[in-house]
Amino acid sequence: MKTFTHTPQTSSVLPETAPRAFGKIPVNPFSTRLTRPGQIASLNCGGHFLNPNDLIDRLQFLGGTAVIQGPHGSGKTTLLMHLSHELASRGDLVACVRLRSSRDALVVFRSIIRSRPGTTLCLDSWEQAGFMLRKIIWLAVTVRRCGLLVTCHRPTTMPVLMQCQTSPLLLKRIVEQLPNHEQRRSSLIHEADIQDAFLKCGGNIRESLYDLYDRFEQRVRLHPHTRT
Amino acid sequence: MSQSNQALVGSPTVSVHFDHSHRLYEPQARLTVRYSIDGIADDERVRAVELSVLWYTEGKGEEDLGVHFFERMTDRERLPPAVTVGSFVSSLPLSPLSYEGLIVKVRWCVRVRLFFTDGRDFVSEHVFELGEIPPAQTKPDGPAIVSV
Repeated sequence: MKTFTHTPQTSSVLPETAPRAFGKIPVNPFSTRLTRPGQIASLNCGGHFLNPNDLIDRLQFLGGTAVIQGPHGSGKTTLLMHLSHELASRGDLVACVRLRSSRDALVVFRSIIRSRPGTTLCLDSWEQAGFMLRKIIWLAVTVRRCGLLVTCHRPTTMPVLMQCQTSPLLLKRIVEQLPNHEQRRSSLIHEADIQDAFLKCGGNIRESLYDLYDRFEQRVRLHPHTRT
Repeated sequence: MSQSNQALVGSPTVSVHFDHSHRLYEPQARLTVRYSIDGIADDERVRAVELSVLWYTEGKGEEDLGVHFFERMTDRERLPPAVTVGSFVSSLPLSPLSYEGLIVKVRWCVRVRLFFTDGRDFVSEHVFELGEIPPAQTKPDGPAIVSV
């Protein structure tokens, strides 16, 4: 199997905390700024890096319109962002909008109006648009000869680009990617925590990372020797 | 001296020197920062450097951010490799104060961001503290409390 590494457009280093009289509290690697979509690579449920080139080829094969489907916290947004960056790095035109409610329709239509033919419109949370709005967006995108890549929890009439699923192994691989993993494994977060968080959160990776965030915070404060 | 503590392969190294020991500042204090940029490959060209002093929240869920000082340099004569060191001064505000909470933290940092001509960028953040609020503490099996 071929493996692919995640090479973000922006590289950064984990900021070190300022020294304090009571000891440095290390940066929580499960905090949102380090785990939000775009910060971590897209992996499949087997824990392998997804090949963006294969997915983009498949998107083109599907006519430029498809859905990334899966339950809450299964990596749909992460994959959407990863693919949108990949498309942009190829020189393709991309417009990304996160739908929070039908009220975001204006932003979507503004993006469509500004788009040139061939632009891929990436919409996160497709189900947030109501039935009629989805139809209108679909029509507008077709008229403008744009592509449409969306994320959705439920099945849609669009072809499926990727069905996202989770597994304890996926969560483990994500945790291994986070900064200072080796240091954390030895003292604060153990493999059993990862398994436990996954089960407790019903396989929702985002919630599992929040759970691990809490465990980290509790332990780093209860065990001062973990401070530096 | 604060340095990029996790050098990425092929990434530059940004070192920042704060004028206060322990990087601890009182509200409305004057912050003087000296920085140096090293390790830029010969085939890489920097098109802009951004210097900023900002605070951000860190924790679970939504995040917030406020930029207190910002300077963008695009003049080639002020950019690496021509110039690799520099400094700036900023007067810090009264708030928000740095805070190490359980659910949310407030951090202040100096951010040096390099933009390369190939579209990549590199961010280096160097945390300092504004004020001296003790971190939140927790009891085993109990709610979070703030130590005083």
